[in-house]
Amino acid sequence: MKKFLTAIFAMASTTCALAQETTSSPLEISGSVDTYFKYDFAKNPLNSKTSFVTDHNSVSLGMIDIALKKKTGKASFVGELSFGPRGQSQSIPDAAAGGSSFNIQNLYVNYDFTDEFSMTAGYMGTFIGYEVISPVGNFNYSTSYLFTNGPFQNAGIKATYKFSDKASLMAGLFNDWNVYSATRGVSAIGGQLMVAPVEGWTAYINALSGAGFGGYGTIVDLTTAYQITEKFKLALNAANYDIKDNAVPGSYAGAALYPQYAVSDAVTLGLRGEYFKFKAAGAVPETAFTAVTLTANIKSGGLTFIPEVRLDHNKDKPFFNKSGAAAPNGGQFSLAAVYAF
Amino acid sequence: MKYIIFGLFTIFTVKLSAQQKQFSKSDNGKFIYYQVVDSQLVDKNILLQRARSFVDLAYKKSMKLESSTDSSVLAKGNMVIDKTILVAGHPSGEISYNLVFEVRQGKYRFWLTDMLFIPYQRDRYGNFVPATTIGVPLERTPGKLGAGAWKDILNSTYNKVEKFGDEFKKYLATNRMEKIKNKAETISTKKW
Repeated sequence: MKKFLTAIFAMASTTCALAQETTSSPLEISGSVDTYFKYDFAKNPLNSKTSFVTDHNSVSLGMIDIALKKKTGKASFVGELSFGPRGQSQSIPDAAAGGSSFNIQNLYVNYDFTDEFSMTAGYMGTFIGYEVISPVGNFNYSTSYLFTNGPFQNAGIKATYKFSDKASLMAGLFNDWNVYSATRGVSAIGGQLMVAPVEGWTAYINALSGAGFGGYGTIVDLTTAYQITEKFKLALNAANYDIKDNAVPGSYAGAALYPQYAVSDAVTLGLRGEYFKFKAAGAVPETAFTAVTLTANIKSGGLTFIPEVRLDHNKDKPFFNKSGAAAPNGGQFSLAAVYAF
Repeated sequence: MKYIIFGLFTIFTVKLSAQQKQFSKSDNGKFIYYQVVDSQLVDKNILLQRARSFVDLAYKKSMKLESSTDSSVLAKGNMVIDKTILVAGHPSGEISYNLVFEVRQGKYRFWLTDMLFIPYQRDRYGNFVPATTIGVPLERTPGKLGAGAWKDILNSTYNKVEKFGDEFKKYLATNRMEKIKNKAETISTKKW
């Protein structure tokens, strides 16, 4: 304990000393911790077809996430690590195989050449889609099919030019999806156009083409959110992914709508309605999901309680009922607690 | 060990004293940070020029001049509020405000009011960005669940505004030309 406190004070004095000598910002430390209870109405954990929130009738762990950021002059870095099921085996790249290690959420350096132009290199949260791995970044605790089947993270180098507060353009070269080092070389090209046509409305048009899930493919994505009033926000995510080889399953298309309404300072209700289909590939036929998720966010300081009811449907019966037979519907209730610091 | 306890006690004491400061309210019920400064040594027109320069140059990234007369300056601005965890922290939001500056011969006054809070949230890249574009008036009464967090925001805002006020007063009291001249002076080692 004594050593720990001494180390903290030493770190504090070093940070203060550095701050006096340079134009650097203080070291930013932030993160989150999350845990959840889920009850599947058919008592079958296999009914979860999307990422995370997998366990049935269990108080289970999400992850602890710790992020560091520092800016010195025009250069900055972000390093973000997560530990726990949501941040390890369920987030795809696991530093040590077997789900026993950690997941790097972000690890990159950035340089602002001017106020308008910057370049970033490293491993970053993907620019595709509306939802993210961190539970702090999502309104719903469970995730969408679009999130689950799209990229989670991209390693690469990108350049961003900000025309104004209302428009910016990003272009970059990336490795294949969700890997710390390329397995097929720097093989993807991606871009993002951001426009903010009116106050409170932001739209991102994204494209990523190259090595990804199922070989080489191209994903085109629209992510937009509009804070229409102080209480009402509406967001939309739509995407299409085509794998170059038509015989390989994994191509998809879908859209999700996210209306959210703040009923008070502390309580916001939100709905996620999603349609998602896997396209036919070779002998594998097309199959489509619809899902409705009703979520509340109840905030008290850094803590957010997230009660959620989710209903999924697919006429091809990928779900299971209580007796274990194939069923067209799945449903679950979950209660999550997320603390952000 | 006793030094560590003393250090923690000092931090705790500083935090308690910081919590005691709070905004006054103006005639229209809004929070206001109001200062009247006696400035007999500096001419009225120079003070006005320095106030404009403060907005247009010193704080050009976060302030915008709205209007200016021969005795006043009105500007809009915003400042980032930090959330501190012992030694490090991160931005928790930003405050937008109106700055009014009025000058007479021998004294001036300024106040910050119409303060709105916009919370920040961490984006997918680990950066803190505004969670919404619609600010919440600082005067609002929070619900029970958010009362503690709101108190922290008010404290942080007051400290930041007070620091801003001190910088503004210092800027108006400083002759920039003389400062630049002094800075440009070099020391030659060729002669004794």
